[in-house]
Order: sequence, then C-alpha cells, then structure tokens
Amino acid sequence: MIFGSLTFLIGEAGRNIRRNGLMSLAALGTVTIALTVLGGTLWTTFRMSEFARSQPEKFNRIDVFLPPKAERSKAQDLLEELHKKPEVKEVTLVTREEAWKMMEENQPVLTSALDENPLMDKLEVELKEASQVSQFAQSLRDKDEYPNIDKVLDAGEEVRNLINLSRVIRVIGGGLAVGLFIATLFIIHNTIRLTVFARKKEILIMQMVGATPWFIRLPLLLEGLFHGLMGGVIAGGLMLFAGHLVSQFVTSVHSPLSGEVPSPFLEYSEAIMPFAVS
Amino acid sequence: MIDLKGVGVTYSNGWRALSNVQLKIDKGEFVFVVGTTGAGKSTLLKLLSREETATEGTVKVSGQDLSSLPLHDLPAYRRKIGIVFQDFGLLPNKTVYENVAFALQVTGASRQTIRRQVPYVLDLVAMSHRPDAFPNQLSGGEQQRVAIARALVNEPFLLLADEPTGNLDPETSLGIMQLLNHINLRGTTVIIATHDQAVVDFLQRRVIAFDQGGLVRDEVVGNYRATEAQEETA
Repeated sequence: MIFGSLTFLIGEAGRNIRRNGLMSLAALGTVTIALTVLGGTLWTTFRMSEFARSQPEKFNRIDVFLPPKAERSKAQDLLEELHKKPEVKEVTLVTREEAWKMMEENQPVLTSALDENPLMDKLEVELKEASQVSQFAQSLRDKDEYPNIDKVLDAGEEVRNLINLSRVIRVIGGGLAVGLFIATLFIIHNTIRLTVFARKKEILIMQMVGATPWFIRLPLLLEGLFHGLMGGVIAGGLMLFAGHLVSQFVTSVHSPLSGEVPSPFLEYSEAIMPFAVS
Repeated sequence: MIDLKGVGVTYSNGWRALSNVQLKIDKGEFVFVVGTTGAGKSTLLKLLSREETATEGTVKVSGQDLSSLPLHDLPAYRRKIGIVFQDFGLLPNKTVYENVAFALQVTGASRQTIRRQVPYVLDLVAMSHRPDAFPNQLSGGEQQRVAIARALVNEPFLLLADEPTGNLDPETSLGIMQLLNHINLRGTTVIIATHDQAVVDFLQRRVIAFDQGGLVRDEVVGNYRATEAQEETA
C-alpha cells in the first residue's frame, strides 16, 4: 500500500509538472537564471583567483649576470654553488656566445650594428617556490658573499602585486558569492511559495477529501526537486556553453608571445557548480 | 448520530456566527439548512467538517467530540464524510476519473478498488460517459455531479453539501437535488445548506432554519419559508 501510494505520488508530481506547464516553466526559468548568475559568479571568481594565483609560479626565475668578460670557470663555480642551495630547483648557464647567437637570430639589425659581443654570461636560476624569489634575489645582491655577480634581475614586485590581486579577488568574489547565494535562496524560496500559493485552493480541496499533509506535500516537494535539478543542469549547460565561447574569444585575441591560455577555459567539473548548489 | 449541545462560534474578528445551538440529527436523515446569508448555515457545515471548531458547547458526530479531535486524526475523519461545495471544488488539472479516484487514493486504496469503485459512482451520477474530460470542459451541472461522485466514492455515512445548486440553473438544480435524495435513500445521512426555495418546497424533507446565528425553526417535513402560523408563534 505504501509502495502503491509512493508510486502514485511520484506520478502525481510528473502529471502536475506536465499539466501546470506554464507555472512549471516559470519556476524552472527562475531557478535556472538564479543558479546561472550564482554559478557564473562563483566560476568567474574561482577562475580569476586561480589565474592570479598561478601567475607568480611563472615568475620563479632569477637572472644572475656575471661581470663582462668574466672567466667561464667563475660562472661554472657559481652555478655549482647556487645548485646546492635548498631553494633552488634548477640552474642553467647561458653563455654570452649563446646569448649573442640568439640575439643575432632575433634582432639581426641590432647585432650587425655592434662590433663585438657586449653580452655577459648569465645564470638562469629557477626556484622551487615563487614566493622566495624576492628574498633569494636580495641575498644574491650581497657583494661580499657573491663578488662575481654583477647584476640580479627578478620579478619580485610583480609577484607581490599578483599575490595581492589574488587575495583581493578572493575576498571581493567571496563576498559577492555569499550575497548572491543568499539572494538565490530567497528567489528559490519565493518561487516555491508562489507555486504553493497558486495551488492554495487545490490544497484546501485535498485537505477536505481527507489527504494527509504528507500526501499533499510530497508531490510539491518532488516538483521543487525536479525544478531545482533541471535548473541546475540547464545552468551548468549554459555555463559550459558560455565558457566555451569565452575560451574561443580569448584564444582568438591572445598573442602567442604572452604565454599559455588556461585550457580548457571552463573545466567540466566547474560547470557542475550550479548543479551542486541546487 | 449528530449531536450539538449549546454550540456557539465566535470568529477572531468578534463576529458571532452561531449562538447556543441545540440540534440532533439521526442516521439516515435528509436535512435542509435554510436561512439568509450570514445566518450561520455554512458555519454549521464547517463545524461538521471540522473546518471550524466550536468556541462554546460540544459537537459530536458518531459519538466523537470534534473539538477534541487531534489534528492527525482529521484526514481519517474527513475520509468518512463526503463534502460537496457550491463552486464544485474539483481539482482543475485532473480528469473526471482522476478527481474521483483521488478521494480513494488518499485512503491508500488498491488499484483494483479504484478501478471498481470509480466507474461505479460515475455511473451512479450519470457521468460515466466523460471520464477523461477536465473540469473546464464540463457544464456546471456536470461538474457538480462529479463532485458528488467524489464525495460518495468512499461510501461516507454523512454527506455535507454547502449550497450545491448555488451556481446552477433551476432545472439542473432539481436534478442534483434528486440525485442527493437518491443517495439518502441508499442510507447516507445528507445535510444540505441551501437558498433554493423551489427544491426545498418540492422535496418536503426536514428543514432547520437559522437566523442571526440562532436555530429558529426545526420541522420534520417543512418548506423553505415558515408558515404564517409559525411566524405568529415565533
């Protein structure tokens, strides 16, 4: 009997959705829009924050220049010394001859104007952690400890800015997401109330023929669940589609010199955000 | 079967709908409740369907004091009575068959019972020819027949009808009243609140009249209006 009633109530929810087409469509539309806005904001914040956070990783390199015409053995010694440092991941020697050759290929006009190679030997030091760049570069500038280093170049300031930007995005985006989450809850709550209000008379009739509160409530809950899940799926689909369009646009305007574009721009796991929220 | 003792109903806005009503109705009776608008007819029916509770006195139906009926027992009580509304009260998104079947489904009746009972009551009210029609595809009289079929399908011991012919033309009204009369002859107690003088006078059944919340007339066989002799006595 209980199974029979449950089957009936599930069927009842399906019939109600079908026969209350316009109301169902309105509820589904409202839920979809609310979840798309929420999901889109969460996703944008997440991607921007991830992007800002991942950029400093690309600035974990320090270029160490030796004095002009320094002996090659000094460069080799320095390479070995730096390689032993725990912060260092990789050290590569770019000799002035190699650098000149690259320059000849890239900027032949400039090199042809020069009588001799003015470049210096360079050590490209790759650190394990981008956050250590600034401090490590500063230690290399100590002339007493490293007399054979002429100049040290690092992206410390840029790294600090990007880390700060990542924090700001996370705070603002987080606040916005919380606000939108509450607004979405209100919208969905209101939508449910409106659908129940539209059926106030039906509910009263059901009560008068002896329906129990759960007998009345369950189909309404199942309908709400359906609207929520379908709204989530549609919102996820819309986000995937929008993400795909944005990805295509970014790729088309992206300069090949400015590095890699995160790809795919919208991961499938991120597209289920609104679905998870619903 | 129905026993009201010193019943009074005062609404939260202070309006006194019923005052010191004493009334007994036996099993199998057919009773017309008459009176002007606001006299207390609908409040009496609402007391019996437990939409309202008495603020004074006791209302007993089959020995059960409705004032002390717990809320969780209310659905079970309502399944034992049938209610017919003036505006028919059909579920708009259900067909004729589904509307009638719904009253059985809430009781957890089996599919076999539903398949047997629904066509039977639809036949009884002469609506078996349109089981798949939706309420908005039916005339007022047809809708009221379906509402009566739904009220009957659980074989109630009591049928309450609040102005069942209020939205119908005189000819259709008479047909509906004859149907309710027929149901009463099968053993169901029927209580009808009505303004329909022609029908009341035609059927010549028990009449109880209300005025300003008080029961002013109770006749075993009566008419819609009191006779001059009764008015003089009053």
